[in-house]
Formats: sequence, C-alpha cells, structure tokens
Amino acid sequence: MQSVNYIPIVLQLLVAGGFVTLAMTLTHVWGPKRKSAEKLENFECGIESQGNARMPFSIKYFLTAILFVLFDVEVIFLYPWAVNFKELGLFGFVEMLVFIAFLLLGFLYIIKKGALKWE
Amino acid sequence: MKSIVLLSLLGVTSMFAGVFNYRKLILPIILIGIAAAIGLFVDQWGMNKSFYQMAFFDNYAIAFSCLLLSVSFLIFTLALYHYRKEGDIVTDLYALFIFALTGGLLMTSFSNLVMLFLGIEILSIPLYVLAGSRRADLASNEAALKYFLMGAFATGFLLFGIALVYGASGTFDLAGIAAYVKAGKDIPDFFYVGIVLLIVALLFKVSAAPFHFWAPDVYQGSPVLVTTFMSTVVKIAAFAAFLRLFNYCFTPLASYYEIILTAAAVATLLIGNVTALYQQSVKRMLAYSGISHAGYLLIALVVMGASATSVVFFYSAAYAAASLVAFAVLTAVMENKEGRESFETFKGLAKNNPILALCMSVAMLSLAGIPPLAGFFGKYFLFATAIKDGYLWLVLVAIFNSLISLYYYLRVIINMYSSADDEVPAFTPNYALVLMLLLSLGANLALGFYPDLLMGLLG
Repeated sequence: MQSVNYIPIVLQLLVAGGFVTLAMTLTHVWGPKRKSAEKLENFECGIESQGNARMPFSIKYFLTAILFVLFDVEVIFLYPWAVNFKELGLFGFVEMLVFIAFLLLGFLYIIKKGALKWE
Repeated sequence: MKSIVLLSLLGVTSMFAGVFNYRKLILPIILIGIAAAIGLFVDQWGMNKSFYQMAFFDNYAIAFSCLLLSVSFLIFTLALYHYRKEGDIVTDLYALFIFALTGGLLMTSFSNLVMLFLGIEILSIPLYVLAGSRRADLASNEAALKYFLMGAFATGFLLFGIALVYGASGTFDLAGIAAYVKAGKDIPDFFYVGIVLLIVALLFKVSAAPFHFWAPDVYQGSPVLVTTFMSTVVKIAAFAAFLRLFNYCFTPLASYYEIILTAAAVATLLIGNVTALYQQSVKRMLAYSGISHAGYLLIALVVMGASATSVVFFYSAAYAAASLVAFAVLTAVMENKEGRESFETFKGLAKNNPILALCMSVAMLSLAGIPPLAGFFGKYFLFATAIKDGYLWLVLVAIFNSLISLYYYLRVIINMYSSADDEVPAFTPNYALVLMLLLSLGANLALGFYPDLLMGLLG
C-alpha cells in the first residue's frame, strides 16, 4: 500500500470553491442595484412573454431538435480525426469513411421514416 | 470478428426493412444471418485470434458467443409467432434485438476494459427502448424508464471502477492489468475500490441482490419477448463478462473480494427464492426465478478457477433452454387469454392443450433441477465443483434454496393440471411456436442425457 498525496486536489477544490464564493459575494456587495419593472422581467427585450413556461409544445420541435443534437455530436468526432489526419494515414481515412457511411445510413433512415416531415 | 461485423450489418438491414418494404423477408434473413454468424464462430474454434488487442476470440469467447447466438435464434423463431399480427414497428424491434445481441457478443470477447464498457452499453441502450416498445402500455413505459435510470447508474459505477483500475495499473488492457496484479507490489487502496465498483456494476447487470430491485418490475412491464431476451441473452452475456474479467485479471486478489461475492450469492438465492413464493403473476415469478439462478451462478464465480468456466457455461445453457420453453408457453397462454399472466390463467391448460402443458412441466422441472433434465446436471456440476473447493456450507445453502424453489415451480404445474374456472378458447396451432418449442425442448433433453456435449468444451 502506498500513501497518495491528495493535498493538491484539496487545494484545487478550495481554490475553485473560494473563487465562486468570492466572485458572487463581491458582485452582490459592489454591483449596482436597479429594481424597476423592466429589470425584473424574464427577458428584457424581444416579444413580451406570455403565460407559464410549463406549457405543452409540439413534439415535432423536440424530434427535430434531438436529431440535430445527435448529428451535431457525431460531427465532433471529425475534429480529433482531422487534427491527426496525417498520422492516421489511409487506414484512418477509410475508418472515417465507414463512420460517415453509417451516419448517412442513419440519416437516410430518419428521412425515410418521415421524422423530418413537418406536415 | 467477422460474425460481429455480419451481425451489425444484419441489424442495419433489418432497420431498413420497414422503409424499403421487404418486411416479409426480414425474419428469414435474420435467421440465416444468425446461423451464418454461428458458423463463422465455429470456424474460428481453437485459433485464439486477437483483434488489435481489443477483442480476443479464445474458445471461451467463441463458446459463449455461440450460446448467445443460438438462444437468439430461438427467440427470433418465437418472434415469428409472437409478432405475427404486429405492424410496421416490428422491423425496428428486430434491429434493436440484433444490436443488443452484438453488444452481448462483445461482452464475451473483450480483452480491453473499453470494449467491456462499449459492449455493455451496446447491449443496454437498445434494451431500454425495447422495454418500452409497447408504447400504449403504461407498465411498459414504466419498465423502460426504471431500467434506463437504474442502468445509467450502474454504468456510472462501471466507469468509476474502470477509471480507478486504470489509475492504479495504467492500462485498459486485460493482459496488462493481469500482469500488474500478478506483480502485486504497491497496489494502492483505490485499486481495490475499483474492483468493488466493478463488482457493483456487474452484479446490477446480472440482477443479483442487493442490486436486483429493477428486475421484477422491468421483466413484468416489458413485452414478453423482450423479457425472454433479458432473462436469457442479457443474463448470460453479463455472466460471461463477469467471469472473463475476474478470471483473467483479479484471481490473485480473490481473498479480498470473495467475501463480497459470497454474501451477494447467499442474499440473491434467499431473496430470489423466498420472494418468488408469494408472486401472483407467472411472469414476475419467472423474474424472481431468474434472480435466484443468478445466485447459483454467483456461487460458481466464488469458486472460480478454470473449472468454473465450463460449469458456468453448462449452467447458463441449461437455464436458457428451460427458460425459453417456459417463456414460449407463457407467450402462447397470455395471447390466448388476453394478456393475463397470473397462475390461475394456467388452469385447464392440460385439458385444452396437453402438449403445451407437457412442455411447461418439463421446463419447470428442469428449472427446479429434477433429473434427468438439463437443470439437474447444471446444479450437479456446480455443487460438485464447489464441494471440491471446500465450500460445503455454500452448497448446503444452495440445496436448501432449491427445495424452496420446488414450491413455486410445482405451483405452475398443479395449476395447469387442475380444471379451469371459465371457458377456455382453443389454441390455434402455429408452426413457428412448435418449431421453437421442439428445438429448445430438444436442447434441454440432449443436455440432460448427454451433459458431456457441453461440459468437455471448455476443458
């Protein structure tokens, strides 16, 4: 059994926690306070908000949004590949082609299923 | 590796069957594909091929993979019967089943902790969807949500465990970790914590106490075919992964975690069997019976060593063969009686359809461990190995639990052979169901009469 030195981690925690507390306290103490009706609105500009935030909305928004997030996240995998493109060589290129092909298959599937049809 | 690629492509093919209108063709394609995958695996027997140090196809991996594939083959035959009236959604469900199966195959053949993690995730995520695949049914939705939340937690434990093991040993590779453990110098405390976290995650996946609470609700809420898949393929894959990881890496440290596994095994046996006694639903009873069988398999894990692999393999095969018959009959009975699943629905089955009743009796007796059925030999080999390794008291506990389990298995049989309270609609014969029952019953009897078929395989 070896003893592990955890003091740096504790210090890191203290610094992180301390910074948040300090920053929040200071803004509350020093920051200017203006409390008018406009300032207390949820959104200061744009269309006036109406009703409750907890209202039902069309499932279509949700489906489109989640599909967007899905494909957006997959694209992130391209970045590390692009950075290491030269080292990975032909093998990496083919691997990425396979990956994109599967991604396209998924895209074809959701189009064929009609998940993106608005009507 | 070829068969894993084949299965992934099969899953994609099945996914597109719905949109490109070859719906009618897809089940034969799937059955042929799975048979081909078994063939490709058998072809690799004894070759010990490694795939980029990520997957290692030794005989252990191939044997368990073939078992998983065969069980899935039978489940797809049952699907032919169960989903025959279902519409569009079916091809998507098949695709999910196949993807889950692919994950299961990775769990039997991993040689890197990353692959273990990937395998478990590929297995679990389609299952979360499958558990909720009866969308209009509240119980099915509840099952999916429960399974997902609990499963996500277990995944968290698994990742913590892997991270700690990596932190100490500096490698994800099983051989590297094994070498690190064998060298055995300066193993830090958190390595042991990592092992315990891995145990927690894997106990969850095999639904062993005290992490079994999700199993009855999920098994009961899910569609019956999904329940069949979960209690056979998923359980076997999880045990294969459990045994592979611990047998390969951590055996020199067995004295540290043995007590945990022993306690889990005893608790699983007692909780599974005693709770099964007062169930009203046969489906739920089968879920608890699955939990108790996980307890027996955990005993094999405690005993471990080279002999444990063949015992676990035989026991899982025997358990799967009996469970498949039980679930197939349950599917037929539930369909005939508008989805009811209590013990009373089995009343009058022997008069209405003596063959189904006979099949169910064989399955129940095999699960209870009555000779000369496969279940008996599974238990026999297990107990014999455990006694040889000096775990007599554990065997006594297990035998005591087998006696308890007789009550609820026989309760099904008694109900089947007593007269019905109401008019029972006649069964429409179906060739897929008959074929499936014949194959699994045949496997059960073959394993009972010739246990050497599988016992000798893994040495």
